[in-house]
Parts: sequence; structure tokens; C-alpha cells
Amino acid sequence: MLRRLWKWLLELARPERIDREAREELAQHLELAVAEKVRAGLSPGEARRQARLDLGNPEETHEQLRDGRAGASIDALAKDAAYALRVLARRPAFTAACLLTVALGVGASTALFAVVDAVVLRPLPLPDPVSLVRIYDENAVRGVERAGITTGNLVDWRRQARCFRGLAGFYTMGRTLTVGGESEVVLAAQVTEDFFPLLGVEPALGRAPTAEETRIALFDTAAAPVSPDPVVVLSDALWRRRFGSDPAVVGQTVVVERRPMRVIGVMPSRFTLPAADAQLFLPWGQSERPPRDQHYVVGVGRLAAGTTREQGEAELRAVAGALAREHPQTNEGWSVRLVPLRDDVVGDTRAALVVLLLAVALVLVVACANVALLSLARGLERLPEAALRQALGASRRRLLRQFLLEPLLTSAGGGALGALLAAASLALLQRRGASLPRLDEVSLGPPELAFAFAATLAAALVSGLPAAFRLARAQPAAGVVDATSRIAGPGRGRRLRDLLVVAEVATAVVLVAGASLLVRSYQRLSAVDPGFEPRGVLVAPVFLDMQGYGGGRSRVYYQQLIERLRALPGVEAAGAATALPTSPLGPDFERPVWAEGAPESEHALRAAWVRMITPDYFRTLGLRMVAGRAFDDTDGEKAPRRVILSDGLAQRLYPGESAVGRRLVVDYSTNGTYPYDVVGVVNDVRFSGPRAEPRQEIYLPHAQRPYLVMNVAVRSSQDPRYLAPAVRQVLRELDPAKPAHGLYDLAELASATYARDRQLAQLLAGFAAVAVLLALVGVHGVLSHRVRERTREIGVRLALGAGEAQLVRWVASAGLRLVLPGLALGVAAAALLRPVVAGVLFGTSALDPLALVAVAALPFLALAVSLHPARRAARTDVAEVLRAG
Amino acid sequence: MLKTLALEPLHGYGIGQRIEQVSSGVFKVTLGSLYPALQRLEKDGLVEAEWKASENGRRARYYRLTAAGRRRLSVEQKEWERVSAAITRILKAT
Repeated sequence: MLRRLWKWLLELARPERIDREAREELAQHLELAVAEKVRAGLSPGEARRQARLDLGNPEETHEQLRDGRAGASIDALAKDAAYALRVLARRPAFTAACLLTVALGVGASTALFAVVDAVVLRPLPLPDPVSLVRIYDENAVRGVERAGITTGNLVDWRRQARCFRGLAGFYTMGRTLTVGGESEVVLAAQVTEDFFPLLGVEPALGRAPTAEETRIALFDTAAAPVSPDPVVVLSDALWRRRFGSDPAVVGQTVVVERRPMRVIGVMPSRFTLPAADAQLFLPWGQSERPPRDQHYVVGVGRLAAGTTREQGEAELRAVAGALAREHPQTNEGWSVRLVPLRDDVVGDTRAALVVLLLAVALVLVVACANVALLSLARGLERLPEAALRQALGASRRRLLRQFLLEPLLTSAGGGALGALLAAASLALLQRRGASLPRLDEVSLGPPELAFAFAATLAAALVSGLPAAFRLARAQPAAGVVDATSRIAGPGRGRRLRDLLVVAEVATAVVLVAGASLLVRSYQRLSAVDPGFEPRGVLVAPVFLDMQGYGGGRSRVYYQQLIERLRALPGVEAAGAATALPTSPLGPDFERPVWAEGAPESEHALRAAWVRMITPDYFRTLGLRMVAGRAFDDTDGEKAPRRVILSDGLAQRLYPGESAVGRRLVVDYSTNGTYPYDVVGVVNDVRFSGPRAEPRQEIYLPHAQRPYLVMNVAVRSSQDPRYLAPAVRQVLRELDPAKPAHGLYDLAELASATYARDRQLAQLLAGFAAVAVLLALVGVHGVLSHRVRERTREIGVRLALGAGEAQLVRWVASAGLRLVLPGLALGVAAAALLRPVVAGVLFGTSALDPLALVAVAALPFLALAVSLHPARRAARTDVAEVLRAG
Repeated sequence: MLKTLALEPLHGYGIGQRIEQVSSGVFKVTLGSLYPALQRLEKDGLVEAEWKASENGRRARYYRLTAAGRRRLSVEQKEWERVSAAITRILKAT
């Protein structure tokens, strides 16, 4: 075997030697035969003649041998390729069109595939990612599907659950970091003791906090003893930004919330999950009796080997059930739900990406079909060439190869260009920071390149095969007669072209239907009244610390801050709330509430989200009072406890009557229950964007219940971003150590909640437009072609008295015969594909009028397009045609 | 052709001669049938070729049967005998 391979290589490497030897061998054979005949008594001349007669032509045999030699096919291939390149270079416009189409198709689909691969397909970049789960609390009685867990329950879970290798929790919070005298607020994750070992990620520099270090509190907010030597771990991003990637940072001291802390480690750069965006990692010491009713902790767990998520969930539910019986006041109705960590991270992005990938694939198909149509039309021009080559002895296989090489070469160029395009668009995507999870993991790896290669090959075959087969089947006779002048019957080439156009139209219809559904869905989303006016509002999250502002000192700070902000030129109103709608930062929690005097059985039924607000908050955000009044300066420290309800909550608690003047009880569990006087009712707010139902909320005056963390909002008469420098200045004047954690335009925050819907709708609309355009080009091409094919027939018809109208009708009906089946096919396919899109739609029905109109417009567009070839048909010069015939 | 090489290695002309002789001139061997056939056999690994000095002192390409070639020969021979015997029987029977 090896020897044969060696010989084969040898033959390949030295073709001229093999050639010479074969010639020598043949000549020798002839000579021996001649010698034999001379010996038998013939003259040398006669002997040579007879030997040639007997043995045949040595040149011909030599040719035969050369074709059978190893590498002969490679030789021919190289020749064919060179020829193909010459052919392509002679037609730069055609070649460029094919090349660009393939490049766009391959580039777009590869880029999208890279995103899908990184976001949906690849496992999380953590050891044994499959066993990681996100843990949520749920409460069926209150209709809570996903809430954070509590530190109190986490302690018991860890003690009792056997199905887990680890259970941990963390929460994120803005913390003031001071390095070298300069303060900034960074997002810090406070993590429980199992957090780092559970995820299996070691810091790239230094070490993670020990269990001992984690048990001790860093701040005196919790009741645990405060650590004498607090430690902190930095994120890679923070380390690069603030410390210039200095490895000597380990051991240095930084100041967090006025407390000096020792840096013990730096996390690796790829570590972003599940504590996304956290810049600091602080050990989280727990008090002796951690609360069981504050659902703000992000729970993560790692299942033990051989344990399924279902088993883990069942076990934790059993534990939760026991806890609910043991602590009914805090745990009644609470259970847990486990979600694979990856699904949790990816969330609803999957559906959107699948839709996009499908759409891009469809566009690629239409693009390839169009290239195929172009090639078929061009192929017809080359029929004489194919026929001639066949007449000269080219085999059908050789011809097929020749005509396939051209699309293969254009596609290869297009594919390479497409890969570059994909790389460029991914780089752009990452720089623009689109709203995607795991975006930093997106890259062009081997799977992406394999995908690009496969897409390129598919493009080459789809676009090249039809024309290649048509040409390879060329009859030598066709070369003699001018192919285009014949009256064409319903040949196979024509049926193929029709089929391609029908497929194009169908694909375009699918895309148009999908795009119009998404556009409609987006329109509905943006038409939803959020309950507040986000335009013109600048948001500044401010994080005060216990040491500097505990004991009610934050009340004074925020009063001063609001006053100064209101005094700024251009400011219409200023207010603050613990949590703002659609703004991601700030304490946000629920408490059970009931109307005073309600039977005890109703006490656990309803919970409301609690927000502390300053007097002018409603006016700043543009909320409307439904009844009663807003808070003012009379609702101070000394005044009776007062509350304002959201409309939905008021209607549920006091159906059919006015809530104003009634009393509401709020349950602070271990801190007791307190009655509040209801002074007003305010309209409902879609707190987390238009997709989510409005929450039931209660508002308390910040003056009566001061909080450290507040989202300060400023309403401006102009673009609120102009206010940013002034707002920063005011914050600096009040406390240089407490800058805002960034400044946000509330309108942007609000639209970000459905930015993905907008992007998706835009992209799909773009794809649909491209597909429709391509399909129309296809229809036009096929019709023009048919008119050209039938020039003679048309001439005869005109000569026999056919009117122009008749001809136009003929062409138009031919166009409709292409479009209508495509339309039917497309509508059917769209109906089949609907479930794919359903996941990303917002209240849109299948029979959407916009979708119907968009789809119905296609035949008219096709008609418009068919007018051009029809006119050309009508302008046919009868005399000329008849003379030519 | 394999059979002609079973006895000893031969060059192309020799093979042609041998076939003509053995078949008493029934088969005429032309260049066009002989050499492409040899090329195929060589490609299939049934024969090997090398340049050697011939009986008249000149360089010639000699073809030799490989082990695989021998095996193939016996298989083909048996198959041929079986078929021809069957045909003979059929012809005799009618």
C-alpha cells in the first residue's frame, strides 16, 4: 500500500519522466515488431508499415496512457480552473454580482451563527457547567413565579440538602470605591462563603476569600461581628482600568465605603457569570439570625454528581415545605424552583436568535436562487460554447466539472469575503455592546469557520448546479442553430427557472409575513402606556453608606440634594425613589399588606412592592394621582405614618370604595406590623417594561422611612443629558466621596426594555425587503428571458393582429403564474413556522391585518415588475423577426 | 495477460508475442489495447514494472506478477473454467 502511494506521488512529482519512459517503451515495442518482420524477409519500410498496421498508432496510445496516469485529473482540473478564472474575469459585472451576493449571505449567516453558537449552543465557561443551577423562590399563593432567595433559608438548605455539592448566594450593590483619593461608585457583589469554590473559578491573581474571612461582616449593617482585616477581590476589568493591570495590586489596600480593605485576588477576564458586571467581590458575613423574608438574594447551586435538576428541586422543595411549617410567619406559601444556569443566563434571547438565524438562512437561499437564475440565463448564452466543446470530444463529466468550477470559484471568493465580513460585523457588535448575554464569548472559532465553509459550498451548489446540468446536457446540434432564436417548448431549463422563482417568492413571503408580525408586535409594545413619562428625565443612582449616613442622616442629605437640583436652570422637577421604573439599580422588595380590619386569613394573600419616595417624585416621573394627594413637606418625621397606593392595589384592597382615608397594614415580619393612613392613589406603572403587567405598589415618604440608596430623578425641559455636568457638580459639592453610579437617560432605560424587539423587527424588515427585492429581480429576469426566447412567436402573433394589450396580458399572467403558487407556498410555510416566531411576539394574532396587506402587496409588485418585459414584447419589430425567421 | 506473466517477467512486446503465439494468432494485440491494460493492472497492484536490460542488451520495461496478481489469476481462472464448462455443457445438451 505504502509503495503504491509512493509510486503515485512519484508519478505526480515527475510527470515528464513518466511521459518519456512511456514513449520509449512504445517505440521499443514497435521496433521489436519491425525487427521481427525484417527477419521474416520484409524490407524495412514495408516491415514498419505492416507493424504500424498491426499495432495501431503509438501516439494515440501514448495519449491514452497520459490520461490514465496519476495526477492527470489534477492537471485537467488546474487547466479548467484557469479557464474558469478567465471566463469570470471576462464578465466582471456578473462575477461581482455573484461574489457579493454570496459574500453577503455567507457573512451575515456566519456572524449570526457565531452569536447563536456563543450564546445558546456553547456551555458556560465554568467547570462542569451542566450541574450549575439558578435557584428562585416562588409563591403560588401570591402568584410570585420568580423571586430572590433569602439568606435565612439558604442556611437551612445548606445544612439539610444532600443533592448539592454547594449552595451559595450573592447580591449586587453600588459601593463607593476610593483609590488614590478618587472616588467612584462600582457595582459590588457580596458573596456567601461557598460562592467561589461552588463555581470552580479561582482568581487569576492571588486567592479567593477563605470561609473564615467570609463569616465575618465587612460593614456594620449586619449584626455579625465586623472583621478587623476586611478583604476584597477585584474583577479583571476593574484591575485593568484602575490599577493598570499591576500584578502588585494583591496585598495593597483600597477604600470601600470608608473602610480600608486588603486586595487578596483578581478574577480572570472571562469570569462574568453569574454575577454579571460586578467589579468588586466582597465576602458576605451573615448575622446570627439572617432574615427569612427578604427575597433579594441571587441563589446558585451545584448539583452533586449523578443528581438531576428535578431531584435537587424536589429535595429543596421538601426542605422549603418543612421551613414553611416551622416559620409560617415568614415562609408560608414559599417554595423553590431550579433553572439550569445557562437557560437563566441566555433567557429569552434564544427565541430571538433562532428567528434571526432562520431569516438569514432564508435570505441566503433567495440570494443563491437569484445567482442560479443569473447563471442559467448566462448559461443559455454559453450553450453554443458547450455544444462546440462537446462536439470536439469533451465528455459530459468534464463539461459538468467545467461549469461547476465557475460558481465554485466565485463562491469560494465570496465565502472568504463573507468570513471577513462576519469578523468585521462581530467586532462592531461587540464594540457597540448590543443587549446580548455572553457577548464577550462571541468569536470566530472552528465551528464558525466550518459553518462558513458549509454555507459557501451550499451557495456554490445551489447557484451552480442548475446551470451546469443544463449546459452539460447541451446537444452538439444546438451549437449549429442559434439557441435563442428557436421557439422554446416547455423545456426542462424553463421549468427549473420557474421553480426557482416560485421558491424565491415563497421565501420572500415567509420573511415578509414574519417581519410584519414583528413590526406589529413592536408597535404594540411601544404603544403600551408605561404609566410614567420617561422622556426628559435624567436618573442618578446614589449609594450612601451606613457609617456616614445611618440613623436618618440620609434624610437630610437627600432633602438638600433635591433642593439644590431643583434650583438648577432648566430643571422642572426633581425627586427620588428607592427604585425607579425600568432602572436596574436600587433596593426593591415586597411586603405583605392588608386593609386594616381584614380577617387574618387575608393577611398573607397580597404583597406590594415598597418604594420610599421624596415629595416631588410623582411630578418628576409624570405619574398621575387617581385620588387624594401626593406627599408634601407635611409628611415628615413627626407626622403620622402615611402611604400612597397604586391604583391596582387600591381596587383590590378596597373594591368599589375610596381608599383615601382608610388604613393599610404593612407587615415587616420580624420588625412588626404597622398601620398607615392612605392619603392618595396613584396610577399603575409598568415597572419592568411594557411586556410585564403593572405591579401592585405602595409608596412611603422617604422622610418617614429614610433609605441609604436612592435613584434621584431630574425632569428637564430639554434633552436631560445637558443637565449631567450640573448634576455631577451638585453631587460633588454635597459629598465628594459619593458620586452617582453613572447618569442615565430614563427614556433610554425605558426603551431598552424592548430594544431587542425593535432590533429584531428592524433586522427582519431589512431581510424581508432584501428578499422581496431579490425575488422581484428573479421574476423580472425570468419574464424578460421568456420574452426574448419567444421573440419569433411574439412577432408572428403581432403580425397576425394581436394587440399590445393582449401581449401585456400574456406576460402579466405568466408573471402571476409564478407569483401566485409562490404566494400560496409561502403563506403555508409561514403558518408552519409561526410557532418559531410566537416566542418573541407581544400580543399579535396570526391573522394580522398588516401582515396580510404586506403579503397581498406582493402580486401587485410582481405585476409592476412584469410591465417592463411586457412592453419590450409589445415593441417587438415584426418585420425584423419575420425576416430573420 | 496475467497468465502470460505467470511463468516469468516479460516486457510489453513479449507479452503481445506470447498471447499471439498461444492463441495461434486468434488474438491480435495492438498497442492501444496492450499498454492501457498494463497501466490499469499496475494501478490495481496486480503487476509491477521495472526497467531492466533485455536479451539484446537494451533497456526494457519488464512486467512481473505480484502476489495479489497471482491470487487474482487463480480466482479468474477458476471462474472462467466454471463458466466455460457450463457453456460447453449447454452447447452439448442441445
